[in-house]
Amino acid sequence: MSELRDPAHRVSPRALTLWHLTAAIEAAFTGIAAGVAIAIWGPDAVRWWLAGVPLLLLALAAAVVPQWRYRVHRWEVSATAVYTQRGWWARERRIAPMSRVQTVDFAQGPLARLFGLATVTVTTASAAGPLQIEGLDKDVALALIDELTRKADLVAGDAT
Amino acid sequence: MSDAWERLDPRMLLIHPVREVGKFLPVLIGLVVAGGVSGAGPWALLGVVAPVALGVVRYLTTTYRVTDGRVELRRGLLQRHALSTPVDRVRTVDLTASPIHRILGLATVVIGTGGVVSDADERLELDALPREQATTLRVHLLGSRQAPATDGEHGAPIDEVEQVVARFSPRWLWYAPFSGTALVAMAGLIGAAAQFSEIFRINLSEEDFAAVDGTFVLGVVAVVAALGVILAVAGYLVTNGGFLLSRHGATWHVRRGLLTRRETSIDVPRLAGIRFGEPALLRLARGRRVSAIVTGLDSSQASSAVLLPPAPAATAYDVARAVLADPAPITGPLLPHGRTATTRRYTRALMGATPFVVLLALLVVGGASAGVLLVAVVPFGLALALATDRARSLGHAHLADHVVMRSGSVVRSRAALGDSHVIGWNMRATWFQRRAGLVTVAATTAGGGGRIEVYDVPELAALALADAATPGLISQFHEEVR
Repeated sequence: MSELRDPAHRVSPRALTLWHLTAAIEAAFTGIAAGVAIAIWGPDAVRWWLAGVPLLLLALAAAVVPQWRYRVHRWEVSATAVYTQRGWWARERRIAPMSRVQTVDFAQGPLARLFGLATVTVTTASAAGPLQIEGLDKDVALALIDELTRKADLVAGDAT
Repeated sequence: MSDAWERLDPRMLLIHPVREVGKFLPVLIGLVVAGGVSGAGPWALLGVVAPVALGVVRYLTTTYRVTDGRVELRRGLLQRHALSTPVDRVRTVDLTASPIHRILGLATVVIGTGGVVSDADERLELDALPREQATTLRVHLLGSRQAPATDGEHGAPIDEVEQVVARFSPRWLWYAPFSGTALVAMAGLIGAAAQFSEIFRINLSEEDFAAVDGTFVLGVVAVVAALGVILAVAGYLVTNGGFLLSRHGATWHVRRGLLTRRETSIDVPRLAGIRFGEPALLRLARGRRVSAIVTGLDSSQASSAVLLPPAPAATAYDVARAVLADPAPITGPLLPHGRTATTRRYTRALMGATPFVVLLALLVVGGASAGVLLVAVVPFGLALALATDRARSLGHAHLADHVVMRSGSVVRSRAALGDSHVIGWNMRATWFQRRAGLVTVAATTAGGGGRIEVYDVPELAALALADAATPGLISQFHEEVR
């Protein structure tokens, strides 16, 4: 019996910090918006319940989801294929043969740049979703792009 | 093809002005009315001259050529457009002919390159060429890449022989009401009626509602249903009348349309697979539909990929057999997904029915008679029927070098994708699915919706499927478990 194992590499541990930060910012914004709405329209008797429960859930999500995501997000590049795994509640594994890789894209958001992180996106000719590796260390990402470009170049054909 | 720039057919001088007059019609009416009031003649004349002049300008400024392996098109007087694309990028060549075009023996050529074209100005469209010239151009654009194929016995090029696989028959109209368009038409009718009553301020009073009895309701339902069926049949006839599917050498040709005739060509190397549509209603009527998964043709161009509109099941099986060269992917046995997957179908369907039942229970609590609860049988019954059919439909297989997946009930379809067209795998599992040892498998491809997908495959079966279709790709990431 054999099963599909996880890809070999984790993303950078700094990604965990970044995800915690963005999740906290998002939770704070949603929390403030919800709080204001409840303060204005909420009935007095249940106001604290109405405000407290969502805030607790938001805080919990901001604390737990990035951890969970960090455990799931993994990647691996072999001689013939790219293999990624992402998500948290729903885990998605994507495998594309090197011969079908069309473009390799490197992207850095403003916050990610602050943390020295980058996202590598590998696209094939399919419209059904590219392979994306978020939260890679910038140097690792650049090396990965080099490697992918070299390997994809070795294969002839139009990748459809 | 020559190097010189060529113009479109001069007969377009007849078509363009007619169309432009059509576009100018509101202005023309305005001018005539205004002219009648003020008695100003010259302005009315302008309304006629302007469209004709526009037509002439369009004819004079549009030129095209096929040279050095490129198709080039120039058009526009003020806003010049020059479009150019390499011939080997051409993925589709569609010929369309409106009734006017057909009377004059012309056809519009639309050259597709598989890219995303946002603007109508950027379409490579030649409107229009004489029919024979359009056909020659199509053969030239699509045929230049493949070496002329010969059939072994006679040594004659296969290109000479046109092999007809399916031809429209009036019997097919029977399937029109079962294709889903009838339901859309009925919904449209109801919407239109609502709009109508709104516009004319038809107010319904209590007495009106009191006057409504069973016969009246049945009558309205019958009329709406009949109109829906008539619209569906008429729509089917206009779209699919004169349907013809044939193979010409290494190219499939689809021709259809009662008034505006449309011809689509798909060359065999780009035919990645087929989707065999078996929606519940169509299954009841013993009909099927077939569409192609074509490399470089995304789902927004689905109408270019029709291989057979709703038609008798036997015809659909013939088409599938002819297109795939082997009937196994469509007729062969599928591997079922097991008990856990079946259970999930039932839990999900019953969960869907629950809100209705809760609503009924609330009504009873609110004072309605307990008999209302009997109505709950309806959502539960429907949910059970749906779940049973969905569980029965679910399956996958690897047959005759094709990945085969089937799922759904109301819109069930069976997709077969050639192994060489699989360009990757997506395996998605929610926490619940992981606990049940199931995974949603998608084989990605460069055409159609980008993938074919089936849910709740047992993990090991998913790996076996991927291994069979793309040997070595997935197995390098395998790990032995005890």
